[in-house]
Amino acid sequence: MRRILSSIRDGHGFDILLVAFPLGFLFLMAGLPLIYNAVMSFQEVDMFSLGTFSRPFVGLKNYRDLFAQPETWPILYNTLVFVVGSIAGQFLIGFGLALFFWVNFPGASWLRGLFLVSWVMPGLVVGAVWNWILSGDFGVLNFLLRESGIISGNIFWRSDPQYSLYAVIIANIWLGTAFNMILLSVGLSAIPGDLYEAAELDGANAWQRFWTITLPMMRSSIGAIIALGLIFTLQQFDLFAAITSGGPNNSSNVTQYWAWELSFRQYDFAKGATISVIMIVFVMFASVVYVRSTRHEVRG
Amino acid sequence: MIAQIELTGVNKHYGNYHALKDIDLSIEKGSFTALVGPSGCGKSTLLRSLAGLESISTGTLKIAGDVMNKVPPRKRDVAMVFQSYALYPHMTVEENLTYSLRVRGMPKTEARKAAAEVARTTGLSHLLDRYPRELSGGQRQRVAMSRAIIRHPKAFLFDEPLSNLDAALRVHMRKEIRALHDRLGATSVYVTHDQIEAMTMADRVVVMRAGIIEQQGRPLDLYDKPANKFVAGFIGSPAMNFIPAQGGQDGRSVVLDLGQPQSVDVGYPVQPGRELTVGLRPEHITLAPPDKAMLKVPVAVVESTGAATYLTTATTPELAVVINGRGGTAAGETVGLDFEPAQLHLFDVKTERRI
Ligand SMILES: Nc1ncnc2c1ncn2[C@@H]1O[C@H](COP(=O)(O)OP(=O)(O)OP(=O)(O)O)[C@@H](O)[C@H]1O
Ligand SMILES: [Mg+2]
Repeated sequence: MRRILSSIRDGHGFDILLVAFPLGFLFLMAGLPLIYNAVMSFQEVDMFSLGTFSRPFVGLKNYRDLFAQPETWPILYNTLVFVVGSIAGQFLIGFGLALFFWVNFPGASWLRGLFLVSWVMPGLVVGAVWNWILSGDFGVLNFLLRESGIISGNIFWRSDPQYSLYAVIIANIWLGTAFNMILLSVGLSAIPGDLYEAAELDGANAWQRFWTITLPMMRSSIGAIIALGLIFTLQQFDLFAAITSGGPNNSSNVTQYWAWELSFRQYDFAKGATISVIMIVFVMFASVVYVRSTRHEVRG
Repeated sequence: MIAQIELTGVNKHYGNYHALKDIDLSIEKGSFTALVGPSGCGKSTLLRSLAGLESISTGTLKIAGDVMNKVPPRKRDVAMVFQSYALYPHMTVEENLTYSLRVRGMPKTEARKAAAEVARTTGLSHLLDRYPRELSGGQRQRVAMSRAIIRHPKAFLFDEPLSNLDAALRVHMRKEIRALHDRLGATSVYVTHDQIEAMTMADRVVVMRAGIIEQQGRPLDLYDKPANKFVAGFIGSPAMNFIPAQGGQDGRSVVLDLGQPQSVDVGYPVQPGRELTVGLRPEHITLAPPDKAMLKVPVAVVESTGAATYLTTATTPELAVVINGRGGTAAGETVGLDFEPAQLHLFDVKTERRI
């Protein structure tokens, strides 16, 4: 007993204790539900068996059924479009802004702070605001596009199956850009200034400096922000609930919203769980990318 | 003399801080020039202005005869070795070396050949595949130098390149840099706050203070004939002793005030009664039998390195004395000190200029 106590006081035991605490917490709050969810995806679940844990195992039946449904592939495709479109938009605009504020004109840091406003707003509020902007008849977006001659007639962003998914993507890009910008700004400011001076004296022009110094030095930041972006877009739920509710006719439905719909609207918990498991695989992949890219910091 | 770098009336303002004041400086082609001065005197600012990393507010800067005031750094064809080395951390040593060639569009095989050649002369051949973080401080320093050498620039600019190295390596690299300079026939400007580095390496030393060039010249000229009290105190180690004094009544001597007055015949006219500061280097003072010596003073501190002994006297102002060997005195004893009157440096009290 004394050995254990002294080991906790001044040795290895303390490290283990420190790690054990968050690990236990994580296991309880995230690990168990995850396992429960995975188990459920192999079971037959209905309203009556919801309360017990011992439900009939059906093997891969849920998965087979899911992929037999006609809407599954379109929704998976929508998810892909949503994730790629959102991340590309958030990253490119965020990186552009980060580079812009990096120039450090008077008031740059103050303005940059203002951008964080979008990030602290709840998704449902953002959704409501974008509902007005995207509105077909009196929306600001249509007004701008019309006045600048890009479109001739109004686009019904939220109710036109061709545009509904993009309506959510646009709102999501707006929501996530600030986060991208802040993280990339941090990455940019961590690049030592004398590298640019050395490169300039070595004869590199601004374009070459960007490609040979900035981008390679930002590799870990970029990897991290894209992995985080993947996780954040895969859990984006509020905007769908607020703007399109996945409709019309699943045209803007994505897996995370569909999983909720199946579980809590249609009470098909097994299918909901099955979709969640598929998503978990993707998120785990993103996590690996994230961990790897933050581990391979290339710094001095 | 061909001027490789020429500054005329150069001023630099940071907002309303006047960092460089009317700098006139001509740097000869093939010469090694050291810029020295205390911290914050504008050495780095001057060097960075040569490189184009800072723009000069007024005046003209010419490199190899061309006005460079508005030319961006990458078109000036000068190379700089930074105190921090500024190696590209995501590139191997070889890629660091060839960077300047590659951005100018040299084919990769040719660039690699050039890198191999430079690496051979600087002893980096076995390190070409390493990343900067895998190198020791001295090796990084070499990479930084090689990166400058590979371009054959019009001038090399060094900003305290040795200050991150330990003392022994610093002494070694001093010789190496100078040898490299001679071999390449380069023009080098070398910033340091270490006057010994400046004295041992340079053909010309430029002493700066508060944005002004106080004196420039050959190292030993600065040592022998410092233009003012600041340069006198800055050049030489340990620093020169300064003693308050007055012109003697006979018009050719000075009266030193070291507690009691001590008249010294200097052998040239000195205005009687003129207030002076007299400088005397510690190494120009010798021990003598007290009864025959010019000064008879008590010793406060004795420090010996074996090769030399450093005495500090218990006088006001206290005097530092360096003697060869062990000296054979102890603190508290009274010793006799002698010096050649010709070794005295006379400065006006008000202007601090040499008389
Ligand atoms: N970007 C700047 N803005 C305002 N003042 C500056 C700037 N850079 C340098 N200075 C000022 O100019 C003066 C000269 O600086 P500089 O870096 O040239 O000194 P230095 O002689 O190289 O000193 P050190 O030996 O400490 O490197 C300093 O007083 C410094 O505060
Ligand atoms: Mg400096």
